[in-house]
Amino acid sequence: MSYQRTQFANRRGAAPLGRNQNTVAFTSAVKLGPVTHTVLVALMITVLGLIYLTQATRTTGYDYEAQKIDSKIADLNNQKTDLEVENSRLTALENVQNSSVAREMTKPASTDYVRE
Amino acid sequence: MQLDFKRGSRAFYLAIVTLVIMAIFVIRLFYLQVIRYDYYTDLARQEQTKQLVIPAKRGEIYAMDDGNPVKIVLNETVYTVFADPKVVDKPQEIIDNVRKVAGGNARPNLEELLGKKESRYQILATKVSRKQAEMLKNVHLKGLGFQAETQRVYPEGQLASQTLGFVDSEGNGKYGLEQELNDKLAGKDGLLRSVTDVSNVPLTIGNDNVNQPAKNGDNVVLTVDRNIQSYAEKALALGLKNSRATNGSVMVMDPKTGKIMAMANLPTFNPAEINKVQDAAAFNNGTVVVPYEPGSDIKALTVTVGVDKGVITPTSTFNNTDSVKVEDRTIGNATKGQTGNITIQTALNYSLNTGMIEIMKRLGDGNNITLSARNTLYEYFHDKLGLGELTGVELAGEAKGTVIPPTDVDGGAVRYSNMAFGQGMDVTMLQVCSAFSTVINGGTYYYPTVIAGKMSDDGQNFTEQPIKTPRTSVISPATASTVREMVHQARHIFYASQDKPGYYIGGKTGTSQVIENGQYADDQTIGTYLGFGGSSPDDPRYVIMVQVSGKHMLLAGNKDAMPIFTDISNWLIDYLKLQPKG
Repeated sequence: MSYQRTQFANRRGAAPLGRNQNTVAFTSAVKLGPVTHTVLVALMITVLGLIYLTQATRTTGYDYEAQKIDSKIADLNNQKTDLEVENSRLTALENVQNSSVAREMTKPASTDYVRE
Repeated sequence: MQLDFKRGSRAFYLAIVTLVIMAIFVIRLFYLQVIRYDYYTDLARQEQTKQLVIPAKRGEIYAMDDGNPVKIVLNETVYTVFADPKVVDKPQEIIDNVRKVAGGNARPNLEELLGKKESRYQILATKVSRKQAEMLKNVHLKGLGFQAETQRVYPEGQLASQTLGFVDSEGNGKYGLEQELNDKLAGKDGLLRSVTDVSNVPLTIGNDNVNQPAKNGDNVVLTVDRNIQSYAEKALALGLKNSRATNGSVMVMDPKTGKIMAMANLPTFNPAEINKVQDAAAFNNGTVVVPYEPGSDIKALTVTVGVDKGVITPTSTFNNTDSVKVEDRTIGNATKGQTGNITIQTALNYSLNTGMIEIMKRLGDGNNITLSARNTLYEYFHDKLGLGELTGVELAGEAKGTVIPPTDVDGGAVRYSNMAFGQGMDVTMLQVCSAFSTVINGGTYYYPTVIAGKMSDDGQNFTEQPIKTPRTSVISPATASTVREMVHQARHIFYASQDKPGYYIGGKTGTSQVIENGQYADDQTIGTYLGFGGSSPDDPRYVIMVQVSGKHMLLAGNKDAMPIFTDISNWLIDYLKLQPKG
């Protein structure tokens, strides 16, 4: 690849060109009409809309996830409550007094106290 | 781009038509989206937004168990099983499963209920447990639904039921603690307002979602000890069986704090089976809501007034003739024979009305029950010891009772001579217990309470509630000490053999008449016993009051109520691990 040093004429009324300064602007050969522009804008809006929808749907997905977890928590709480109730029933005085352990107990024949 | 429509060309007309159609659309949309904006947003909100109430969990109730709180009232989730007969495709399968799983909770006419195809909601079973509901859910029966609800559970059955009260089907506390502390126990329901999908799952879309969490009710810890309560109930039941009385009440109080350790009443009920109660009187806590004429128990307080005022000592003597005239009435003793010059201690021992009238006279001018004497008794009984006044105990329906002031037209000498031995006034057992505790503890009036404190939601942290500021120096410590010894002697002289040796026990019997149709009935008396116990005189640990009664029954304090006191007292000494010192 070879390079060619180019001298550019100074534009009228402009300051002298500095080193490494572009003097030529790129212009595309393809010209876009108003219809294309409209289509492009519509496409961009559509893409943005799709992005928004994706995000919204994703949050809804999280909602379902949260709902699942909430219902699991509620379920576990119910289980915990049931166990507490069961525990209270099993340790109720009536049950304790009628337990096999209590039935095996005997009253002491005599009791002596240490007097202060 | 330049559009060049020739007038009259097809393109021109097409453009016009298109523009008109577009205009119609724009105008219609403008009308719907701008002019009818509020209407349609409201409609959408109603359809998409659901408002759900997050129910608050009702606070649980704990009792003491040797100093440790234990749950005695809990909440349990139960389910109502319902069906949509229109959707049900296998009715027989549903009937078989519901009957097998729900058992006695299933409705008897399931076939008939599921046959009602025009209805969309039929209850098949109620109060089904979570496990049972899970079993039914796992069968995946079409058209079957479950509705969760909370109900109170009482693992201890009827223990302290009148103290606790119950919760009705609307979720409101009735009677006892449940009614009095309903607001605290109920908590505050939360609110969830959110856009939901078809299956009611809340979605976070929407700008005006509200998520207000529920505030659960307070968990209350009672001062009531379940072991003492249980024993008191058993002792009372046994005592009533022996005396054949139909009604009875027992109260056990810590005289040094005013904390109620037990409150038992018979007949009683099971709060889980309120539908089985035939007489609503069973719901009442007799110790708190039923005022009565206390009878001779009050003599301990009359003696206290005399000693505190310096008009008597235990050895002060007076001439007992077994009857005394007050204005136009003659008042006699129930126990005859202790005539002549006797001491006030003897008058207390034998529960002599004449001795109490003697105190009243000495509070006056020595010969008459003057206004000054009446004022003094009223000041002590009502203002200082709280008789005839609400104590503020945290239980519904507390009765005030009636103590007629001397300024009242009915507050004359006859009335006050009667009041000196416990007749002519209406008080509750709670008031008498609190007043007696004041004498026994050295002269401080503690407001009675059933609340020990609060328990955290996780059941780990118990926050003690400070007791209400007591009324100090109600009577002098010297008076308290003297009266304590007098009450000890009043019991010791007759019933020493029944008490455990080495302990300091005292008590006073009471037998009071009942007013029927405006006058005292001859065929009915209430027997009461009021006593205390502890290791030593300066360390009383409990006050026990017992009351027994029955329609057309003559019941006596010494014969019918005292044995119940003795039973509980001797058991309590062991339970509280009191050291003998006597």
